[in-house]
Formats: sequence, C-alpha cells, structure tokens
Amino acid sequence: MRTKSFLVQIIAAIGLTLFSHVPTGVADASGGSLKGTAKFDGTALKPTKIDMSSDPNCAKAHTTPATTEDLLIGANGGVENVVVYLSDGLGDKTFEPPAQPAVIEQKGCQYKPHVVAMQTNQKLDVVNDDQTTHNIHPMPNNNREWNKTQPHGMPVEETFPREEIAIPVKCNVHPWMRGYIAVFKHPYFIVTDKDGSFDLKDLPPGTYTIKAWHEKLGTQSQKITIGAGETKTVDFVFKSGS
Amino acid sequence: MRIALAKRIGTHLLLGTALLMGVRPAYAIPAFARKYGLPCSACHEAWPMLNNFGQTFKDNGYQLGNDRDAPIYQQPAYWPIMFRVSPTWHRESNNRVPVDKTPGAASSGLVESTVTASGFDVGGVDIVAAGTLSRNISFFVQPFIGNSSAGFAQGWVRLDNLFKSRWLNFKMGKFELDEPISQERTLTLSNTGAIYYNYFFTPPGDNNFFTGIGNLQLGTEVSGHSENDYTRYSVAVVSNNNGATGLQASQAYNVYTNFNQAFEVSGLGLQRMGVYSYVGQSPTFYQTSGGNPIPGTGMGNRGFYRVGAYGQWYLGKFDFETFYEHGHDNVFLGNSVPANQPEKLPAGAVGPSWNGGFVEAHYDYSPRLILIGKYELIRMSQQANPSIRANAGNLDTWTVGYRWYPIMNPRAGLAWVQEYSRIVNAGPQTLSGKDDINNSFLMGFDFDF
Amino acid sequence: MPIKISLAAGAVFFFLVSSLSSTAQETRVGNLIGNVKQGKALYQRYCIFCHGQYGDGAGESAPYLDPKPRDFTKGTFKCRSTPSGSLPLDTDLYDTISRGVHASGMPSWKPLTRESRIDLVAYIKTFSPRFQEEKPVAPLVIPPEPPTSPQSVARGSELFQSMNCWLCHGKEGRGNGPSASSLTDSKNYPITPFDFTSGNRFKCGESDSGIFRDLMTGLDGTPMPSFADALKPDQAWDLAHYIDALRSGTAKPSQAQAEPKPEPKAN
Repeated sequence: MRTKSFLVQIIAAIGLTLFSHVPTGVADASGGSLKGTAKFDGTALKPTKIDMSSDPNCAKAHTTPATTEDLLIGANGGVENVVVYLSDGLGDKTFEPPAQPAVIEQKGCQYKPHVVAMQTNQKLDVVNDDQTTHNIHPMPNNNREWNKTQPHGMPVEETFPREEIAIPVKCNVHPWMRGYIAVFKHPYFIVTDKDGSFDLKDLPPGTYTIKAWHEKLGTQSQKITIGAGETKTVDFVFKSGS
Repeated sequence: MRIALAKRIGTHLLLGTALLMGVRPAYAIPAFARKYGLPCSACHEAWPMLNNFGQTFKDNGYQLGNDRDAPIYQQPAYWPIMFRVSPTWHRESNNRVPVDKTPGAASSGLVESTVTASGFDVGGVDIVAAGTLSRNISFFVQPFIGNSSAGFAQGWVRLDNLFKSRWLNFKMGKFELDEPISQERTLTLSNTGAIYYNYFFTPPGDNNFFTGIGNLQLGTEVSGHSENDYTRYSVAVVSNNNGATGLQASQAYNVYTNFNQAFEVSGLGLQRMGVYSYVGQSPTFYQTSGGNPIPGTGMGNRGFYRVGAYGQWYLGKFDFETFYEHGHDNVFLGNSVPANQPEKLPAGAVGPSWNGGFVEAHYDYSPRLILIGKYELIRMSQQANPSIRANAGNLDTWTVGYRWYPIMNPRAGLAWVQEYSRIVNAGPQTLSGKDDINNSFLMGFDFDF
Repeated sequence: MPIKISLAAGAVFFFLVSSLSSTAQETRVGNLIGNVKQGKALYQRYCIFCHGQYGDGAGESAPYLDPKPRDFTKGTFKCRSTPSGSLPLDTDLYDTISRGVHASGMPSWKPLTRESRIDLVAYIKTFSPRFQEEKPVAPLVIPPEPPTSPQSVARGSELFQSMNCWLCHGKEGRGNGPSASSLTDSKNYPITPFDFTSGNRFKCGESDSGIFRDLMTGLDGTPMPSFADALKPDQAWDLAHYIDALRSGTAKPSQAQAEPKPEPKAN
C-alpha cells in the first residue's frame, strides 16, 4: 500500500514538474486549436514578372522569370501569407522566446519565406544563399532600424524586442525584393499556406480576438471562445476594396 | 546777434523737421527665410536686430554655405524681394519752439511755445532686393520711396570669399558702413527714438559736409570674418559726400575701420567688443561762379575724425549694447570758416571736440516679445569758439518700448510696437536758453514680407 | 542598529541609482554639459520650423525641403560613430549640429556658442524614448589607414563590384546605377545615391577617415547599409581608396561583368 502511494506521489511529482513548466509552443494537453481558411472574394490581379536583369546573378537563378508575391491567391480563392494570430485575451502573461531561431533566406533574390512570424527577442537568422551581395534592411515603426550588407554566406543574426505586425523588409540594391517580419509577444500565430488554410494548435482556453493580417488586403478580426481541448473553425474573407 | 540766433534756431528747426520726416530704412529680409526655410528668429534676436547666426550669414554674403546657396536651388515661386511698411499712430511734441505770438502775423514777434502734432502715419516703404547673384557674388538694391520723393538708397555688389578665404570680401557701391551697432537694424521706430544721435552729430556752428557714420556711403569696403564670426574686421574707403551721388562734394576720401572680437562666457552667452574709427577730410569752400558754389569742386579740405569703442553683451535673456564715441572737427569746419580766409576765425577759435555714448538694453522674453530701453548722451568737451555756450549741443535721450510679434513665419512677419522717447537738447539754442524737450509716442505695426 | 543599517543601505542605494540615472540622462561633450531647458528655448528659436514642434521633422517648412528634416522621434540618425541600428553618441549629434549637413537645408550652427549647441543636443534627445531606454553601443574603432597604392585601389574596385555598390552608385560612381532610381529613404521619400564624381562634400563630414566611417556605420534611415560585418578593416580601406580615386577622377570604372552573360535559353 505504501509503495503504491509512494509511486503515485513520485509520478505525480514528475508529472507536475513536467506540466507546470509550459514552454511556448510545447503541447499543452488542454490546448484548443483553431482551424480555418483565409479567402479572397473578388477578382485579383495576377502576379507580374519581376525584371532582375540589373543583377545578372539574380537573373541567372531563375529559368523562368520570378513573379511578384504580394498577393498570392490559390485556385479556391485561398490567400497565402496571411498571418493569423491571437490579439486580445492573453492578459499580461509574458512568454519566453523559443531557443530555435526564426529564419529568413534570400534565394534567387527573393525572400523565402515571404512572410516570417516570430516572437519578441527570438533570434532571427538571415541567410544569403545567392551568389550576390544583398543588404538586409528592415524598416520598423516600433523597433530600431538597422541596415546591413550581407555577402554570400555571411551570417546575420538579430532580434526585435517589441511587438510589431508587421515589419517590411527590403534589399536596397535589389529593389523588387520585399518581405515581412511579424513579431509577437506570444507564440500563438501562424502563416497560411498556399491554399490559405491554417491550423493554430495548443491554444490555452479563453476568449480572444483573432486577427488575420495580409500585406495588401489589410486586417480582419473576429471574436472567439475556445474551451479546453476544443477545436473551432474560423474563416476570414477579404473582399476586394478592403 | 539776432541773425546768429536765428541761424541757430534755423538749424535746430531743420533738425527737428528732418526728425519729423525721418524715414529710417531698416532691414529684416523674409526672402532669406523663405529661401532656406528658417524662421526669422534664427537670424534675428528679434527682427530687425541680428544675432550671431544672422550676422555670420550676412558676412558670408547672404550665404549659409551648405551647398544650397546658388540661385538654382531656389523654388520657382521664390522672390528675392522684401517689402517693409510701418503704419503707425504717433504723437510728437516739442516744448520750446519759437512761434509767432499771433499765428499768421510774422511781425508779432517770436515766443516759445509747445508744438504738438499727432495722427496716423506711415514710416516710409522699404523695398529691398538682396541675396546672391551666383555663388559668392551677393548684392543689395534698395530704391528709396519717401512721402514726397523717390531715389536710390542702397545699391552694391560684393565679391565674397575671395581666393576661397572668408577673410577677404570686396564690396562696391552705395552701402551702409559696418557700423559698430547697426542702426539699420535698430528695434525702435519713433522720430526721436529711431536713430543713434552719435551717428549723426554735428556740433553747433559747424558746417562739416560729412554729417555722420549713420549715412549710407559711396565707395568700397574690404571685410572679413572668422568661420563662426567671432572675429570681424571691415575697412571702407569712401568719398566724402554723405552718399550723395553726382560728385557734389569734394575730391576727398574718408577711411572707416571697424574691428571686433567675440568670446563665449559660460552660462551667459556671446560677448563682443570692438573699436572703430572714421577719419576724413571735408571741404571748407568751393569754387564759385557768379557767387554760386560749383558742386564737386570742394577745396580747402580740413580733417575730422570719429573714434570709439563698443560692446554687445548677452547675459542670459538680457542683452546690452554699449557705445562710446569721441569726435573732433578741424577749427575751420567747426567755425564754418573757409580755410582760405583764416582772418575770419573768431578770437579763441579751436576745433570742437565732444564725447558721446549710449546704452541700449533688451529683455528677450522670447523670440516674439522683446522689451527695449535706451539712453544716449552727447557732451561737448570743447566748443568751437568762446561765444558758444559750454553746454550748447549737448543732448540726452531716453527711449522705452516693446515689440511683440504675433505673426512670425518664414513668409512674413508682423510686429506690434509701442514706444515712448524723449530727447532733451541743452538750452543755449532755444529762445529762452532753457532746455528743449521733444517727446515722441508711437504705436503701430511693423510689417515685413 | 537595524534601522541605521537599512538607512545606510537606502542611502547607498539611492546614491547608486541617482548616479546611474544621471549618467544615463546626462548630455556631455568634453566638459560641456547640456541643459534641456535652455535647449528647448534654443530649439524654438532656431530649429522648430524645419524639425517641427514635436521633433518629428514635420515643421512648417518641411514640405518644401529635400531631403526632409530629421525625425528625432525615431532615434535613427545618419551621421554616427556607432554601429547600424544604434543611437548616436552625444558627440555625433554635437558634430552634426556644428558642421551642418552638406547639400541639405541643415546649416552649420557654428555661430552658436558651444554651450548653446550642447544644450540643443540635450533637448533633441528628449524627443525619442530610446535615449532613456537604450545606451548607444560603443563607437567603432577606426584603425590607422594603410597607405594607398594602385593595388589597393584595384582591390577596392573589385569590392565595389562584388559588394554590389555599383547597383546603386553606378559603374563610374555617378550615382546612376540600375537600382538608383527606385531608392527611397525610410520615410518613403525618393533619395539618390551619392555621386562620387560630383565634387560634392559628404553629408557626414569630410575627414581622412570619413569614407571608412560611413562604410562601417552605414547611414541609418537611408538605403546605405553598414559593411561592418562584411568587410575586414583593410578591405574597407581598399574600398575607401577606390572611392577617393573615383572622386578625383583617376579611377577606371568598375570592370568585371559589365554586361550580363547571355542566359541559357529555357526549353
């Protein structure tokens, strides 16, 4: 009898230790999730070709010319690169940034991914895969502005201490290059894929405002309540002219 | 005796009338503010008075030196023209004017009486075009438009920063001297308060053609300054004609020099001290034709000089200007006797000398409100001959006032001015021999575009 | 006894905190210490028409000026001795006020007394909370310049190519590179890259190490980046020597790959 209760105590202690420390993004058994799509209702302009002839090393990297990425709409009207995130409802909780850095790459003289979402004080690794020199120039409103030259292979690592949705990034020597960095105080954000769909997991129960931001289509918001372990579906529709 | 008295009274009246009609040109140039986007207060302590930044700009030939001075950088809508007009209401009163006992009856005899005049008035209209013709060539053109006459007040061209040195600038034309304390930028407008009498003083009995360093002069000037304008010098060689064109005086030349040095005093501001001199010769008689003097043929030149020291002191929000002058005219000039008739000199005749000075204080409450107080005096130290009373020609003047600038932006400026000024001319030149007192009260707008 | 100790501890703590905070807030260049209140009065006399009442560069005259007056509220400054993204030192601000910024509406304020200029620096720092929250990073150390030589200039010419300077500044350094016409500053106003052949003076001042410094710090707020992590000091000096040669007209235009190689045809 005593051994059993002792074991239970130990298991409970271990379990409590494991589960009382909630690192960001790690599975919370009671986490709810939010699924859905971001769609565009209307006729959108198709992406246009980018003329990279000013830098031969950029042009060389593309067998067919690269195209603009500011409005990418899939076959079913799904919008790519929409950042979906929790806005109000988290109170004053602070969250440790993940040890894993966020990564943005310059590939074929374009930013991959086009939109990066990360946490405040999380490291951002900027990688130059191209055979040409870029300069990485974020233009924040709520963080300090810096501008660094980055030849091929040179590492650049920076952080953003304040929340900002979203920081435009450009490369001055290659003027067509455009990307965005969305920086959050918390880990509850996700970027939609090619079909405009998202699945935001491990959400603590509560009542929240959910927002969806796109660089051209603006921001949509909705209110939602998620119970423990509940899965809810939310759809965002961006209309033309929004 | 009577004739001499009348002459004295006549001169006095003339001076008085000149004061009543006085149009003092003065410069604050919004065109510069429009060109560079700076406020008036950047160059002017309170316009028109310059601060050191504005003085540096002026000494540089109206250039900031930031590679944006050339005319090609000016907006198409930019006019290098400035207008200034001062509509006022003022009241003048003089307490010992010789008037006819019965108005209209010249034979009723002269008595002393207070004469007062008041009403709305306009202090002349200044139109000035100034700036740079191209890099390092600056200019200033000012037609003169008075109540009943028009002419040409200033017109000069200056080659700036010769041999790429700011120590060498060459100006030629008709210009104001680099005065110790600039009278063209004085803050006061009234008849009695607007000028510095030391700049225009002529002792009693004196007929010197030269009437003062306050006049615009015709000639050349070489000047220079250090980068921050803390050290400045100016040497001008001008014709002795009070700036009157047409070669009307003599063939004499006068030389003016001015040197000043500024230094910082911790916690108080910039202080500046300087010395100046004006040395020249004036004709004592002319060739005549049928008894009428022929202009330009001045002869019998005799010398005169004005020398002195001055300072500009900044003590936080207060600034003071202090000025001292010692003047001396040759005995022939002082007694109005032609040099070729020395027997006409009265017994005991000497060259007159005098000392004068002024203190002007400002309280710069803000760039848009400034309080002004000024005191000036002149004391004859040596009269031209014993028949002239010792205190003849002495004067004291006080001025108080303020300027408030409700509108000040790079396009135009408007100041509201109120001023009271009083001058006491020492007795001997009035009928009764008592002091003659002039009061001026002025209020109005000073508008500058 | 315990009360005395805690009082003493409190006093020490207070002293430490106040001295720390005074170092964080004090504006100093040499033995000049800036006074914010005086600086404010001076700012309203001299600066407000361009830089605006709130220090945001939106003064009355700003719409007519190009380049626009600095927005102090961002804490981003072109002319510094600190790395890109860092605040300027007090000396950097003081020097910019004294020197002015060439080819812009910012004149040299040397006719103002030194005390006036340091007071202005102190006041300008109050426009951005960054000056309270951050300290400027240590200024970059400029190593002594190795003597110039044709080899150094040639190496600099290669760097001008490989670092993509020519994309903005042009093959001959005339400021007419393929990307030049698209450049905007961080307020989205058009901005042109420097034309080294024009004979103009550098905005952040001419000195023997001016080019080296500008390369290393970058000009924040503009497309000009920092090369501090990309170039070793002698490489930066080589590039500086090449730029000197461009300015004096003795350099040959950038050589390699003047024309793009013909692209492989897509099948």
